[in-house]
Amino acid sequence: MFESETLKLSGGRKVQVYRAGKGPAVVWLHGPHGIRKNDPVIAALAERYAVIAPVSPGFNDIEEIDDIRDVHDLALHYDDIFEALGLDGITLVGHSYGGMIAAELAAHVPKRVKRLVLISPFGLWRDDHPVADLFARPYMTIDTILWKDGKPSGPMADPANFPNDPMEKAVGIVQGMTTVAKYIWPIPDKGLRRRLHRVSADTLVIFGEKDAFVPALYAEEFSKAIRGARNVVVPDAAHMVPYEKTDEVMRLIAQQLDGTTRAA
Amino acid sequence: MKFHWFHLMPYPYLPEDFKEKYKSVWVDPPAAELYDPVKGHQVYNDYLDQLEFAEQMGFDGICVNEHHQNGYGLMPSPNLMAAALARRTSKAKLVVLGNSVALYDPPTRVAEEMAMLDVMSGGRLVAGFPVGTAMDTAYCYGANPATLREKYREGVELILRAWKERRPFSFNGKYTQLRYVNPWPTPIQNPHPPIWIPGGSSIETWEWVIKNDFLFAYLTYFGYMAGTTVIDHFWETVDRLGADFNPNRAAFLQFVGVADTDAEAERLYSEPAQYFYNRCFHLDPAFVAPPGYSSIASMRKGVQSTVRESAQKVQGKHLSWKDIIDSGCVVAGSPQTVIDRLNDMADRMKVGHVMLLLHFGNMSHETTLYNTQRFAQDVMPKLRHRFSEYEDRWWPKDTLPQLQRPAPIGVAAE
Repeated sequence: MFESETLKLSGGRKVQVYRAGKGPAVVWLHGPHGIRKNDPVIAALAERYAVIAPVSPGFNDIEEIDDIRDVHDLALHYDDIFEALGLDGITLVGHSYGGMIAAELAAHVPKRVKRLVLISPFGLWRDDHPVADLFARPYMTIDTILWKDGKPSGPMADPANFPNDPMEKAVGIVQGMTTVAKYIWPIPDKGLRRRLHRVSADTLVIFGEKDAFVPALYAEEFSKAIRGARNVVVPDAAHMVPYEKTDEVMRLIAQQLDGTTRAA
Repeated sequence: MKFHWFHLMPYPYLPEDFKEKYKSVWVDPPAAELYDPVKGHQVYNDYLDQLEFAEQMGFDGICVNEHHQNGYGLMPSPNLMAAALARRTSKAKLVVLGNSVALYDPPTRVAEEMAMLDVMSGGRLVAGFPVGTAMDTAYCYGANPATLREKYREGVELILRAWKERRPFSFNGKYTQLRYVNPWPTPIQNPHPPIWIPGGSSIETWEWVIKNDFLFAYLTYFGYMAGTTVIDHFWETVDRLGADFNPNRAAFLQFVGVADTDAEAERLYSEPAQYFYNRCFHLDPAFVAPPGYSSIASMRKGVQSTVRESAQKVQGKHLSWKDIIDSGCVVAGSPQTVIDRLNDMADRMKVGHVMLLLHFGNMSHETTLYNTQRFAQDVMPKLRHRFSEYEDRWWPKDTLPQLQRPAPIGVAAE
């Protein structure tokens, strides 16, 4: 179980922020599943870093995104969060939907982000290798496309992660999916390619080789568009690569961050 | 009771193995492979003839609707169909149960086209504003399901203001910004045509419909027995909001087949009914419920979209004629059978407007005309009196009884 606080932003919005671990600060932006009670990736990061993990607007309460109309509003919302936390030159790790937000924030406000790890991000589009339609399936079944084996494993499969009431469980999933849908419908290309040249962070892009949602060749699409970025494609993993290959992803993150975090 | 002849305009040439070979009738059944426009030419003209024939037979309204990329609904633009009908009819009201307002930017396009139809038809338009199904809106037109309903409501508000305001105005909406709102033409019906809201079972929609004094049109393909619960909830909402009970606040869609005897009805209508339920209504569950399409409040109340519910009913099943009749999906039989069942429907639902699907599936032109005529002559007169004691505020008044519609000019004699 992680610590949680409610942060009030300058515009009046409230944000739930989880914290765990000690060490250099690392911000974790979660994917379409939100933050589960015993999220194994946050736990793994917390062994080395002081993890700060804000919950995306909409995931706890869908009305929170009423006035966050597009990816620009969303990027500025996250900038407001780091302003409120007094964090500058941050180390930002984002997965999937959180990877898109991390890339958008680093492109909108380059100075805010010093180190950037994008894990299975979306936000770019190639006609010859389209990103799959995450929403052309009943939303309770999205795991079939996200996990290598078509279903969650480890702590993410633990029923303790969900409310006991099946309706509340469904509402939680729908709120998250509705939020993701809002910012990427109908095609997850909202102009990020035009902005990525602005990113000044040291950037690492990680993809799972078997990602059936965002094909792994997007690793290069992202790393080519960001100055000095590297990319790593992890074999035998899919869109949920940080959950499927946690140790390896942690090693890659540590490699990317440690030299520079010590210096900082 | 009023009777409206409703056409879905299905494509009648889907292959027999359609359900096995293709995953959906909607969104992505390949048009170039399945649709033959030369056959389509005949189909459109037959269908328009049928709607015109319905006027001759004394139906109160003729109805068209809007679907996109759909093998059972060939009317992406209901306004085009209504325009064709406006020129060839003079009495029947034109019930246009599109336009899905959120799909049109700016929504004043809808205000313009509907006003054109009202003026062309001499004030015979009923303006229907559906949200639109998930397939039509989110998947075929790329509308964002997270904002669809809010955009739709704002669009309807803009259209109504455009019809009511006496001066040009500016509209600074969340989804539409217009410096000069001043659509020409204005509708004949003053301030605007009756507004019908076709929809399913969303509580927020009912409350909005009742507060604005619109008509609620419940469109389901599963007949009055299955539909009664939803209509009951609608009447409860009317009561809860303190609005007056009036059967003319609601409309219901029903498939009907009339013949000399029940056995003859089976002979005539079994195949087209099975074509509809087993071939046309083949939906991929992938497309029925994008996140955000239904509100969290509706979800918590256990309310599903009509389409989603319908898809679940038929998914993976083959419905026989007996299934179709017993469940009330289609009311078919001798005139007396049909009269009895529609009286039962009126008793249960208390709905003043009945939209009839007298063509369905791949029914032939001749059978359709026969069914239409039998219904008009043998059934309609026996049910006319139902609810006649209630005023109908949701129907065009004959605004221009003096209006003489010019007859089409023939080719000059030599």
